[in-house]
Amino acid sequence: MKILLNMAARVSDQAEVFSIRNDSSSLEMRNGKPTNMSASIQSGYALRILKDGRIGTAYTKNLLDREELVSNALDSLKGRVKAGFSFPGPSDIPASWLPDESISSMGFHDLHSRSKKALDYVRGKVEGQIDVHSARGVQDMAIMNTSGLDISRKTAFMYILTSLLFPNTETAVRKFHQSRNVKDFPERKLDELVDLYTSGLPEVDVPTGRMKVVFTPETVYTMLWRLSASTSGKSFYNRTSPLQDRREEMVLSEKFTLYGDPTDPEEIEQHFFDDEGVPTKRHTVFEKGIFKNLILNLDYADKLNEEPTGTGYREVMFGGETVALPPAPSLNCSRIAPGDVSFEDMIKGIDRGVIVIGVLGAHSGNILNGDFSVGLNPGFYVENGEIKGRVKDGMVAGNVYDVLKNIESIENRLHDSPTGGTYPSILLDDVSVAAK
Amino acid sequence: MLDKLRSMISGVEADFIDIRYEIKTETHISFTGREIRSVGSNRTDGYVIRVGKNGGFSSATVTREEDIPRAMQLAVEGAETIVTTGGKKTVLAEVPVVRENIKLVLDGDPREIGIDDKIELTRKYNDLMLEQPLIETTSLNYREVGRDKHYVNSEGTAVSEEILTTNIFGEVIAKRSSLVQNIRTAIGGADGYNRLLNREDVFLKRAQIAGQLLDADPVKGGTYNVILSPMLAGVFTHEAFGHFSEADIIEDNPSLREKMSLGEKLGSDVITIVADSTIHNQIGYYVYDDEGVAVKPVTLMDRGVLTGRLHSRRTASAFGEPVSGHTVAEDMRFEPIVRMGTIYIKPGEQSLNDLLEELRNGLYLIDGKGGQTSGENFTFGAQYGFKVKDGRIGPMIRDINIIGNLFTTLQNIEAIGNDMELSERGGCGKGQLNIKSALGSPHILIRNMVVGGA
Repeated sequence: MKILLNMAARVSDQAEVFSIRNDSSSLEMRNGKPTNMSASIQSGYALRILKDGRIGTAYTKNLLDREELVSNALDSLKGRVKAGFSFPGPSDIPASWLPDESISSMGFHDLHSRSKKALDYVRGKVEGQIDVHSARGVQDMAIMNTSGLDISRKTAFMYILTSLLFPNTETAVRKFHQSRNVKDFPERKLDELVDLYTSGLPEVDVPTGRMKVVFTPETVYTMLWRLSASTSGKSFYNRTSPLQDRREEMVLSEKFTLYGDPTDPEEIEQHFFDDEGVPTKRHTVFEKGIFKNLILNLDYADKLNEEPTGTGYREVMFGGETVALPPAPSLNCSRIAPGDVSFEDMIKGIDRGVIVIGVLGAHSGNILNGDFSVGLNPGFYVENGEIKGRVKDGMVAGNVYDVLKNIESIENRLHDSPTGGTYPSILLDDVSVAAK
Repeated sequence: MLDKLRSMISGVEADFIDIRYEIKTETHISFTGREIRSVGSNRTDGYVIRVGKNGGFSSATVTREEDIPRAMQLAVEGAETIVTTGGKKTVLAEVPVVRENIKLVLDGDPREIGIDDKIELTRKYNDLMLEQPLIETTSLNYREVGRDKHYVNSEGTAVSEEILTTNIFGEVIAKRSSLVQNIRTAIGGADGYNRLLNREDVFLKRAQIAGQLLDADPVKGGTYNVILSPMLAGVFTHEAFGHFSEADIIEDNPSLREKMSLGEKLGSDVITIVADSTIHNQIGYYVYDDEGVAVKPVTLMDRGVLTGRLHSRRTASAFGEPVSGHTVAEDMRFEPIVRMGTIYIKPGEQSLNDLLEELRNGLYLIDGKGGQTSGENFTFGAQYGFKVKDGRIGPMIRDINIIGNLFTTLQNIEAIGNDMELSERGGCGKGQLNIKSALGSPHILIRNMVVGGA
C-alpha cells in the first residue's frame, strides 16, 4: 500500500489507498441436508487521487501492476469530476477490537455442527421443510492517505439463518442470529420461530382495505431504504428529496427515532472510522419524529457545506464489489429506538390488521418519493388480537412519510435484521392492504 | 493461459476439478444532472475452482495466484465434508470435451473509441432529457463490461471466450413541489458500440413520460384484469416463471419439484415460453457457459405444457434431463449458477387494439421497475400505466406493484399480442448480478391480478 500511495502522491495533490481482504465460507442446508459448501478469498485495492480540484479513481482486485492502477486514476481525471474535499488526517481513534480467533479457524465441519444443532432442535416441531444457511468470515480493511492517515481494522462474524417453509411452498418464516465469536443459535429464538410458524399455518383470505399493519424487524428495511434515500446528501445536493428544506421539522411520529452508531460495543461490526477514514460516532437522523441530520460522505459534506458525518461507505443496496464502488452516504449499524410495548401486547391490541413477516419487492417503486408497495411473503392476518393465519396473495402499500406519522406503538425489544441493523417491530395505523 | 490453468489443476486429488480464470475490464461514466460524477477504466482478474470428490462437490473463488493452493484445499475440504455429513451427492452430466476459442464479433468495438467520445455521447442524451419540462435531474451512466474467460477442466475441455456488453442507462426524475417521479431508461447490448448511436428518440420519450407522471393518479389497490406491455410481460416471464425453470431453484424443494414436472399443464393454451441465448445481436448472447457447455435454445413451455428446464451439469444429472448450457457466473468472484440468459414469450396473433377490446375494463401497465420472487410468489413494479375503460386507454396511473402466484397467473393469461420486444439491458440479482439477463414478450392480457396501490 505504501509503495502505491507514494507513486500516486508523486502525480497528484492528494492520494488515498483503500485495501480490503475477505476470507469467508458458507454452508447451505436445504430440506435438512447439506447441499452446498463454498469458500471465498477475495482482495482488492481502490485508489483515489485529487488534483487541481478534480478527482480520479481506479481499482483492481489483484495488485499486479501498480503503474497501471495509477495510470487508470490519472486517466479518470479526464472526466473533470469536481472534488472540493480533502482526505482526513489522523485522529484519536480507539484501538480496534480484535476478533475472536475461533472464527478465523472455523472449518466446514464446525459450520455444519452449529447449523445441525439448530436443525435438530426444530425438527419434529414443524411439518414443513427446514432450511439452514450459515457462514463465517474475517475481513481486513486498511486506509492510507497523503494527509498522514494510516489505519486498519479487522472484523469477524458468523451467522445462522433458520427458515421454516410452509408445507408445499417456498414461503417461510425466518430467524437470523449473528455473533462475533463462534456461537450456537439461541433456543429461545428457535422457540419463537416455531410459534410464529404454527400461527401462520392456516391460509386465510383478507379483505382489501385500510387497516393496522405491523412491520417486523425483518421487514422494517422497506421503510428505512426510503428514509435513507431522502436523507442522503446525494438527494439533497440534487434537490430531489421530499425532505428538502425540512431540517428540524417534525416530519414523522414523535415515537420514531432513527440513528446509526458503529461505535456501540454491542455491534457485531463495531468500528471507529468509515470507509474514508472519517471517525464514526452516534449519528441521529430522526429524533422523536424530527428530521435532524443528513447522511453524508466527504464529497457531499463539502458540496453542501456541512461537517463530515463518518457515514461514507463503499456499498450499495445490493452486493457490489467494495473496491469498485465509490464511498457513498450510508447509515451503518442503524437502530430504531425501542418503544414500550411487547410484541405479544402489540398483537393483542389489533382489532383487524396484518403482520408483515417477509416482503417481496422492497426495492421496487418510487423509493425517493417514499412510496412502497410490497408483496406479503408472508403476512399474517390478525383479528381481535389473534393471529388467524397467513394471507394469500396480499400487498401492503403506502408512503413512508404518511404511514410513519401514524405509528401506534413500537416494540420494547430490538432484533438483528438479516439486511443489517437492529430494530423493533412497528405498529402502524390505517395502511392500505390489497388482497384477492 | 489455458496451459497454465491445466498445470494448476494437475495433481489435485479429486475425481473432477475445473478452474476458470477471468480478466474483467470495465469503463464507466456517470452523470448526475449536468455534472459528471465519475469516469474511469479498470482491469482486474481472479479464479474460480470447483472440485468433485467421492460424490461431494464444492467451490472456492480466489483473487490472487498465491492463494490458489489454499483455495483448492478449501474446495477439497468442502467436497469431502459434504460426503461425511450426509449431504447431497453430485454426479455431473456427461458433455462433449471441447477445445475452442470464441472471438468477439462487434458492430463497432467500444475499446477503440476514446473516453471523450463516450462522455460526449452520454452527455448528449443526458442534456436532451434535462431540457424537457418538469425534469429536475437525471442519473445517466455509460457502462462497458468485458469478460475475457478461460476455462479448463480435468476431463480435457479447454474453452476461451470473450464477451463485451455496452449500455447507457439510468433514470430521469421529474419533480413538482414535494412530488418526485422517476422513469428508467436503457439502451445497449452485446453486439458493439454502434447500437448506442442515434438513439435520441428513446431518451426524449422517457423524459416526457416522467413529466407526465406528475399529473398521474396513484393506482387504487385491488384485483384487476390487466394488459402488460412487452417489457413488463418480460419481467413477469423472467421473475415469475423463469426462475422456476432454473433447476437449482427447485431441486431441493420436493413439493415444488413435483409441481414443475415436465409434461404438466401449468399455463393457459396461449402461452409458449422460450430461453434462447443463441440469438445474435441481443444482450443475452453467448456461446459457452461457465462450465464449458455450449448453450442451446430450450422451449420451456409449449402452449401451457411444461416442456423444458435450464440446467447445470449437476442439476441435469440430478433431474435426468438434457444439459442446456445455462450455468453462468457474474464474473471471477463467483461460482457459476443456473441462469436464464434470454427468455421470452413467443408472439401470438392479436394486435394491442384487439387486446384492449378484449380487456374492455382494467389497467394497461407499462415497463418494469424491478421484481422479486420467492418460490411460487412474485412481485414486480410497473413504471407507469393507464386505466382502460370500454376498450379505450384512459388516464395515466402511477405507484403500481403487482403480486401473484405463478401457477394461478399462468392459467389466467388469456391472450398474447403479435408484437415483440427484447430488453437491451440485463441486471438479474439471483445472489450475483447477471448483466446479460435479456427478457422480452409481446403484449399479454392477464385476468385477476392483485395490484397494490397507495
